[in-house]
Amino acid sequence: MRAPAEPESFRLVIPSQTRYLNLVTGLAKRASMVAGMDDATSAKISIAVDEAVTNVIVHAYQGEGDHEVDIELRFLPQCLEVHIQHTGRGLKPDEVVLPDPREYVKHPRKGGLGLLLMSRFMDEIRFIETGEGSECFMAKRII
Amino acid sequence: MADLLIQVREVDGVAVVRPEGFINAHTVRQFEAALEAQVRQGRYTILLDCRLLNYISSAGLGAIMGLIETVRANGGDILLCQLQKNVHEIFDTLGFTQLYRVFPTEAEALQCLKGNS
Repeated sequence: MRAPAEPESFRLVIPSQTRYLNLVTGLAKRASMVAGMDDATSAKISIAVDEAVTNVIVHAYQGEGDHEVDIELRFLPQCLEVHIQHTGRGLKPDEVVLPDPREYVKHPRKGGLGLLLMSRFMDEIRFIETGEGSECFMAKRII
Repeated sequence: MADLLIQVREVDGVAVVRPEGFINAHTVRQFEAALEAQVRQGRYTILLDCRLLNYISSAGLGAIMGLIETVRANGGDILLCQLQKNVHEIFDTLGFTQLYRVFPTEAEALQCLKGNS
C-alpha cells in the first residue's frame, strides 16, 4: 500500500525584519490564488499572514532582526494551511484575547487589532508549542 | 519602488493625505510621521485619500487610532475617501466604518466638510 502523498508546499525563511513583510504578503497572496482562492480571499489571507509575521518580529523576537521566521504554505485539497514557526517567545493560548469590535468602537485604543483581523479572515488559528519553538497555524478552506 | 509614498496637500484648511502603496509594520512610522506633522501644524481635519492605498495592516489602523482623540479634541476629524475594496473590508471588519466618516470620492468629502463649516 502506498503511503499517502505529502501535500505540496513551499517554505520561505526570512530574517526577523519588517522590511521583508511586503515580500511575504505578496507571496502569500499569489500562493492563495494558486490554491484556488479568489482575489478577495487571497487578499485576506495575505493580511492574516502579515499580521502573524509582524507579531513574531515585534513581539516574539521583540524587534531583534537577527533571528529567522519560517513560513510554510501547504496546499491541501480542501484548504490552504499556513505554518509560521519561530524560536522567540511564543504566545500562550490563554494570552490570545480577541477584542470585541463593538467595544473597540466604543472605546478606541491603539493595538490588539492584528489577532482580530487574523481570526476574522481565516477559518482556523492555533498557537502551538513545538518543542523547538513556537508555531502560529492558520487555515483557510477552499470553497 | 518604495513600499509607501505619501503626498500631502491642503485644500480649504483640510490636510489631504494620499498614501500610495502599503502601510504595514515596516512603513507605519512614515505614515504616522505624516499624520503627526499635520497635527503639529495645527491642521486637525485630515482627509485620507486611499485611492492608491493597496493595503493597510493593523499597524496602520493603530496609527490612525492613535491620533483620533487629539484631532477631535481640537475640533477636527479624520475622514476617509475612495477606499479600494480590500481596504474597505479591513476597515469594515474592525468596525472602523462606524468610527470614521467614509466617502466615495474626495470631492464629496470636501463638500461635506464645507457644509459643516
